[in-house]
Amino acid sequence: MSKPLIIGSVAYTPNVVTIWEGIREYFGDGPAEMDFVLYSNYGRQVDALLAGEIDIAWNTNLAWVRTVAQTGGECRALAQRDTDTVFQTIFVARTGSALGGLEGLKGRRLALGSKDSAQAAILPVHYLHEAGLGDDDVELLRINSDVGKHGDTGRSELDALRAVMDDKADAAALGINTWEAIGRDELMPGAFEVFWESPTYSHCNFTALPTLSDERAAPWVEKLLAMDFDNPAHRPILEMEGLRQWVLPKMDGYASLFDAVKEQGISPRW
Amino acid sequence: MVSPLLVLDLVERTGPLPLGATVAVPLDGSDDDVALVTAWCTRSGNSLVEVIDGVATVRRGPSPDPYADLDPDQIPGTRLWIYTNFDCNLACDYCCVRSSPQAERRALGADRVRKLAGEAVDAGVSELILTGGEPFLLPDLDDLVAACTAALPTTLLTNAMLLRGRRLEMLRRMDRDRLVLQISLDSPTPELHDRHRGARSWERAVAGIRTAQADGFRVRVAATLEPERFSELEPFKAFLDDLGIARDDQVIRALAHRGVADTGLELTVESLIPEITITADGVYWHPVSADHDDQLVTRELFPLADAIAEVKRRFVAHRAKADAAAQWFPCA
Repeated sequence: MSKPLIIGSVAYTPNVVTIWEGIREYFGDGPAEMDFVLYSNYGRQVDALLAGEIDIAWNTNLAWVRTVAQTGGECRALAQRDTDTVFQTIFVARTGSALGGLEGLKGRRLALGSKDSAQAAILPVHYLHEAGLGDDDVELLRINSDVGKHGDTGRSELDALRAVMDDKADAAALGINTWEAIGRDELMPGAFEVFWESPTYSHCNFTALPTLSDERAAPWVEKLLAMDFDNPAHRPILEMEGLRQWVLPKMDGYASLFDAVKEQGISPRW
Repeated sequence: MVSPLLVLDLVERTGPLPLGATVAVPLDGSDDDVALVTAWCTRSGNSLVEVIDGVATVRRGPSPDPYADLDPDQIPGTRLWIYTNFDCNLACDYCCVRSSPQAERRALGADRVRKLAGEAVDAGVSELILTGGEPFLLPDLDDLVAACTAALPTTLLTNAMLLRGRRLEMLRRMDRDRLVLQISLDSPTPELHDRHRGARSWERAVAGIRTAQADGFRVRVAATLEPERFSELEPFKAFLDDLGIARDDQVIRALAHRGVADTGLELTVESLIPEITITADGVYWHPVSADHDDQLVTRELFPLADAIAEVKRRFVAHRAKADAAAQWFPCA
């Protein structure tokens, strides 16, 4: 029997244990047996990948960008969730704010999530710059509630929304997943409205180094992609992880984050 | 206008929870808040367990299937018990519904039995079980049974002591293909049976079993035993084997502390899987408690589907509450 692949994941919620035990069981009948190791933050996980302690890291987009930076582009992405290919950042304000678009934020206050959250901090600043707004044009309220987990908990985004409700900010930037979690603007009509949506971009992926051979990686990816949302044994895991289908990665979806990290001088490590 | 902060609280408090765990979320008490929590749970795949005193209990993930651990015939509403009457030719000292020759008849009557049988089919019931009292005391029992067997497979509980003359003729008019007779017998020898049920009752019950068998009826034997006697079943089973009772038709049940019984298992709504039971007085949770108001579900027999739905609703609520309590009181 070949040595199992070791997958790293960050434990941002207790359900990560349930999810990975389910995935491990799914892979248990071969041909790509695996086990998993959980980390408390993405910095620790990327270090473990680079040190050869794990074969594959379930990385956020920022963890991917940082792994690329630290490997000189030698790493590769194996797969991601269908939802990772169409991730978005949403800018919201109180209903009736009439901000009209990113330009409307000039002279206003924008609440951002944790500084290492691509969706709620890094990319929002990038979008402001693309819209011609300099660092002095918008007052940024940074809420670093869950640093290290790259915004996975969504807690900083909820705090950003509270800041809007408390009139500490005029608008907030959040990931589409958090916007979905609060029911968009459908559960609380009259509370928040979207005034700008980003283009879609790529989020998490399974990252591997060149030391992982195709011979070992390919059967694992093939088996991963075969998980079936219509299979009652697979569905609970897929629902918990927030996807309907594992897919091959959409690599051009990372371009905006590479640009954002570069222009904001974000460290390639941790 | 509901508070948007409530939804933010819901997301934040449930997010870190393991699947199946619950959390209490204070509301401001308005109906709007309850509606918002309900809508958010539906949309997010979580479940609202209950709202008590302005506090919502929310479970991470869907509610567990309350029927997951049940056999198919245990799912509430699958079997329907019907008490045809409460008077009896015996006065067993453990009778859960206090039947005796002095008990009032409280007959359900052919019209209501016929209506129940018809509605049972539409409500998804798959088996009817007629009991008493002693049903063979009713002069129109064959009409009642015919109404039931025409609708669904039926079991008729009896002490089999009256199977002669006119009553035997009634039995012979019943549909052998659709009817099972369930006859009470508590021991392989007369002593214990007669001690609980009266002198010579064992001898006459065994004779009744043989009569029913001879007339081509499938006979199931049900024994009611004190818990301490469950360790000495083999002689009884061997006796039933000799009587020609199939092992699947040998039903041994524990004595319940109900009715006139001095001892036995304590059975409550919370501890009993419901077996919906109809009497002339109302709909009850379980046949063992058909003479006790603590397990009365409703006085309204009709529509039967509504009564079944109410029992199911209560059962699901009990299960959800028990699951939530288990979450709140982990073993550590």
